[in-house]
Amino acid sequence: MMMKLTLTGIMIALTLAAPLGARADRDDFNAVVKAIEQFYHVKHQNVPLLARAGVKAVRTAAKIRGGQYKRIAEAGSVRVAFFEDQTFDSHGNMAAFKASIQNTLVANWSALVQTLAPKEEEQTFIYVRDANEKFHVLVITIERHEATVVQATISPQVLADLVRDPNGVGKTITDEATISDP
Amino acid sequence: MKTLFRASFDLMLVVALLIAAGITASAQSAKLQLDQLDALANRASETVDVKLDERLMQTTAKFFAGKDPDDAEIRDLIKNVKGIYVKSFTFEKENQYAPADIESVLSQLRSGGWNKIIGVTSKKDGDNVDVYLMTVGDQISGLTVVSIEPKEVTIVNIVGPIDLEKLSQLEGSFGVPYLNLPPSKPKSDK
Repeated sequence: MMMKLTLTGIMIALTLAAPLGARADRDDFNAVVKAIEQFYHVKHQNVPLLARAGVKAVRTAAKIRGGQYKRIAEAGSVRVAFFEDQTFDSHGNMAAFKASIQNTLVANWSALVQTLAPKEEEQTFIYVRDANEKFHVLVITIERHEATVVQATISPQVLADLVRDPNGVGKTITDEATISDP
Repeated sequence: MKTLFRASFDLMLVVALLIAAGITASAQSAKLQLDQLDALANRASETVDVKLDERLMQTTAKFFAGKDPDDAEIRDLIKNVKGIYVKSFTFEKENQYAPADIESVLSQLRSGGWNKIIGVTSKKDGDNVDVYLMTVGDQISGLTVVSIEPKEVTIVNIVGPIDLEKLSQLEGSFGVPYLNLPPSKPKSDK
């Protein structure tokens, strides 16, 4: 009898754990990009070149200001999807988009900050999750005519900065990944 | 068959006890349920939702160790904090929300061990700022600030011990907005 109960317990545990494991393995960055494309009927561009130029620009700007450039994202960890010159109109249903992002990032991600300004069609979402001894951060920024999705690996120190100043550091992560040299 | 029935009964009993324990823990927790406020987002011109949970706070607390004396103060201030939750709604016009919209939060603050320690009302501007504390023995276990203005509603819920006198140091950081709290000493007026 005890054996039966133990087996039942194991089966319940496996049933509960299996979807989480399967979800953890999938590519959430691409899933978010796809969710944006489906909701807003837009198409993204991958911009690895712009991303590299962005790091250079931020580093240069820091030197000009007399400061020391401090890399936010771990080298080579940045993924960027850029939506340019397209229309992001939620038709008054921003809550539905928010729900679709939440459903997409249900596994392991913690929502840190969400800001919504429906009239301006502006939204920012910052999510984090564990990545061994580091962390993944996902910053989704949507404006009326452009949007960016940035995923980067960050150190615990940078995570502390992000927790202390979520909007500021979230913006810096996006800028670092997307701003090109003038 | 009888053994199977008994085993099932035992299992149900364990599940019931676990659920009851969860409800008790929830009732004593300083973490407020704020999700019902999300309905306000449909009417608000701007919504800010910040969730810094216990795991995030504990993971990052030791990294607030800069040479700056302010960093040390911040580290001491938040070292035992288990969560900071902020919801803020800004409206374009007055009367776009009703008291009933935030009743779900206020009802939690009227019960569950919360004491209102500061209440500031401005008849001229219609601004209200209330500060609630939850204490267990001599220890503060949570603090909530409810700021209600004609065009803005802000709830700040800090879980864990926090020095009220130093609360203003968190303003502008950790998603906590500037609250314009009065520098008065806390008085219990439950």
